[in-house]
Amino acid sequence: MINLIGGVPLYVLEFGDELVYFTPYTITLFLLALTFTVLVLISRPEKQVDIAFGGDAYRTKEISVSEMRFRRFMAIACGLATMGAMVTGDIFNFTLFTAMVGITNVGIVAAVKSLHVQDAAYQYGLVALAATVPLFAGAAIYAAVTGSLSMIELMKGTLPAVPLIAKGMLMLGVIGEGMAPFYAAKAEMFRAPGAPYVIMCSLSSLLLFLRVVEIVMLG
Amino acid sequence: MWGQYSYGILVVLVAGVIAFYALARERDDLHKLLLLDLVEIVAIGIIALLGTDLAEALILPGLTVGIAELLALSQIYCTKEGICERPVRGLNIEVIAKGDAPLIISIFLIAYGIILSGFTGGGVAGLGLIFLFISRMYREDINLLEMASGISWALWIFAFFVFMFLPQYWFIALMGAAIGILLKVTAKMSLVGTMWGEHRD
Repeated sequence: MINLIGGVPLYVLEFGDELVYFTPYTITLFLLALTFTVLVLISRPEKQVDIAFGGDAYRTKEISVSEMRFRRFMAIACGLATMGAMVTGDIFNFTLFTAMVGITNVGIVAAVKSLHVQDAAYQYGLVALAATVPLFAGAAIYAAVTGSLSMIELMKGTLPAVPLIAKGMLMLGVIGEGMAPFYAAKAEMFRAPGAPYVIMCSLSSLLLFLRVVEIVMLG
Repeated sequence: MWGQYSYGILVVLVAGVIAFYALARERDDLHKLLLLDLVEIVAIGIIALLGTDLAEALILPGLTVGIAELLALSQIYCTKEGICERPVRGLNIEVIAKGDAPLIISIFLIAYGIILSGFTGGGVAGLGLIFLFISRMYREDINLLEMASGISWALWIFAFFVFMFLPQYWFIALMGAAIGILLKVTAKMSLVGTMWGEHRD
């Protein structure tokens, strides 16, 4: 089944319990995350301009440098967590990286000094916190049924089949960390200024979703 | 064995459904956060039900991520409600002999923590230090504690490298890791006690 999506692993790195592997699919996702992280690192943030309708008046919003610095840090951390989630070969590590993406997504917008953005970030954070419940539960049921968390072992097809509820929980967890239908909570967050950083929120959750599809097809 | 596991999961799922039902009815933001923390603690039960060493290794990061999210969200809550500038002056614990009683309890906890060693021991000893700091309102040099925490963390990591690259010296690595994590958790927990809502200068 894995051959349909990911392809045969080109390279497997085993270091103690840590397991990293690359397939053509995950390399593509990894490079995408890497590119955007570098973009965040080198690009200059936008300044948001409000235009008053029906007139020529416009005003730029005041954004302090320290706030932008914090948000850049969070965006880079988000990129690193996404890269980790793309290449890891361990299901529990994947859930941890996913949870970290959820935290950093909140962090990217939480520094904005605007009440409605903070309110939206808080509500989204509640959803992300709730999503860690099915996320870890799914990984635990994986370990309980198959006795292993290694994706390479799952790929071999010798382990017992993973129950649908574990796959569903893993999927629900990733969805809750930032995909539709919970995306509605994030829409208000995007009103926060700072273009390249905010994009990291949606990019990371998109990549996570693409990766979890591959993981669910295993085993 | 599978039967027991299934029953355990059933209990956790029922608890989760009750908690999420409460969450759906709750309107207050702070209460929502507290309820979610309750759900998360229950959900850790699913991992704990595995009942193996692997489960213990998985619970710790799960708990850490949960606490990190909880801290981040409570910070956002404080900012958005504008209650950041409210200093906390420690707990008002009424102890008759304020000089001696906390000291004795703390010494007992720290000694017990050292005997336990490792992560649990660090937690117990740290609790003793927190209790001492809160009830006496010490003004300690926080930087020193932070440095001790950092050095012991480095010791812990070093011990892990010994495990990986020089497995024949496992005993010294075991001792190093146990002492390192004991000191680290103790120092970090006592920092939680002293930095409680107070501004550092």
